[in-house]
Amino acid sequence: MASAPVQLSVRNIHKAFAGRGAEVRVLDGLSFDIHEQDFVSIIGPSGCGKTTIFNIIAGLIEPDAGSLVYRGEDIASLRGRVGYMMQKDLLFPWRTVLGNVLLGLEMRGVAHRDAVERAREHLAAFGLAGFENAYPKTLSGGMRQRVALIRTLIMDPGILLLDEPFSALDYQTRLYLEGLLKQAVETFHKTVVLVTHDIDEAVALSKRVVVLSGRPARVKTVHDIEIAESSPIAARSDRRFAGYFRTLCGELDIQTEAKPPETKQPEAIAS
Amino acid sequence: MTLIAAEKSAALQQPRAASRKRSLFDTMIGRGLLQAGAVAVLLLLWQFGVRIGWVSEFLFGSPSGVFVVFLRMAANGQLLSDTAYTLFEAILGFVIGTISGSVAGLALWYSIFVARLVEPFIVAINSVPKIALAPIIILWFGTGLVSKVALAVSLTALVALIAAYQAAKDADTDLQALLISMGATKHQIFWKAVVPSTIPPIIATFRINIGFGLVGAVVGEFISSQRGLGHLIYNASSFYDLNTVWVGLFVLMLVGFALYYVIDAVERLLIPWKVSGTVHQVQV
Repeated sequence: MASAPVQLSVRNIHKAFAGRGAEVRVLDGLSFDIHEQDFVSIIGPSGCGKTTIFNIIAGLIEPDAGSLVYRGEDIASLRGRVGYMMQKDLLFPWRTVLGNVLLGLEMRGVAHRDAVERAREHLAAFGLAGFENAYPKTLSGGMRQRVALIRTLIMDPGILLLDEPFSALDYQTRLYLEGLLKQAVETFHKTVVLVTHDIDEAVALSKRVVVLSGRPARVKTVHDIEIAESSPIAARSDRRFAGYFRTLCGELDIQTEAKPPETKQPEAIAS
Repeated sequence: MTLIAAEKSAALQQPRAASRKRSLFDTMIGRGLLQAGAVAVLLLLWQFGVRIGWVSEFLFGSPSGVFVVFLRMAANGQLLSDTAYTLFEAILGFVIGTISGSVAGLALWYSIFVARLVEPFIVAINSVPKIALAPIIILWFGTGLVSKVALAVSLTALVALIAAYQAAKDADTDLQALLISMGATKHQIFWKAVVPSTIPPIIATFRINIGFGLVGAVVGEFISSQRGLGHLIYNASSFYDLNTVWVGLFVLMLVGFALYYVIDAVERLLIPWKVSGTVHQVQV
């Protein structure tokens, strides 16, 4: 993995937001590399700025300082070239399943007929054939997030940014979607950056795990996960799984002592 | 939408036992019978009161008198032509006012600068009771159709504008962020995220505005006109012809009632994704 070339390099990013009175430094010189066809999980205490990094990479907000280098080229952001998936499925309620999947292609100006054909193929591949004309409201949470995943993948993005995409789902559905994601990523040779507060998920899915310190966020450590099993369920029964899990828990624990616990934190550790 | 919300809260408030053991009258036919019965009792009391002299026929008319006038005016075609005239004014005013107001309100989304600039003016204009404009509007637009439509437009346009602008501001920012990450232009965000999400609140204003359209038409006719239900009511009341006044009011009510259900149908047609969801309503 270390031998794979660097695809995206996040260099010395600073970002502060205006808070009550003083400004809040969220990112203070954050740097890390994402390799080609990498699967990196970013874990860290709640509110440490994980989503902020994603928003900067996706071009939703601008950093105060620092740079992004994509395949050797200095860029302002990866806007239009990332697949951003969030905890909320963000399906457009007035669009059918097919219409939602088509969204990104419309943005790019792909001819409607080609776009529909591609969308139907993707929907069929993910077991959603027959649901093309259903409105999101009629689907289960797992199905909705599957549609969101298809919508992300169909754009063939350079990098997938997944911000706790499965955390609102029940455990079985989550396992199923993790497997689906892992398969899709391998089939389409995608690079994934996953933000999660679920250490278990991070270990089961990733090739590398980046541990961030509390606010302002800095990279504390980076762990290579050497579990060869590709299925997330099989990975969880690998004999090294527990070791990684314990190490990462330990590293996060140190962070939790540094500041008063927030509401989300206990569940992050418990899972 | 308002109806659905009301049904929902009613369903929630209903005690458990009552919903399990439904009364014989709590069916479509049962409720209809009760409602018709209530109206019949009221009319009979009114008629009886007139007959024995407790209610003044001169000031209140009588159900039988109203019925006779109704039949006569329906037969000679006057009722139909007056109704059609008023309905036309109201709908034209409603359509022009609602569309121009909604478009202007949505357009304000494009520029926060312009929106902030015009906001105090909109609030100021909106705080004038629009009916107070009626005399000037008659002066400007004459006594014919145009003045009534103009009055209806003045009543509906700002309601639509404010609602549309508010809805555009309230449009889900996460959906917009998603589109930005996909590389969307401002134009695309407007058409794909903002406009569709404003459709339900804008349609909700239809219900209010269709009523205002009727108000504009009728008040315009009160002030100066040769035709229409407002003309009919105003004229008849100046002759103390209460039975004819009741006919006019009754037909206005029917018109308003019908328009409400037309809007309901329009809503179903325009936002199927919203209506289809109400199947899974909470039943306590």
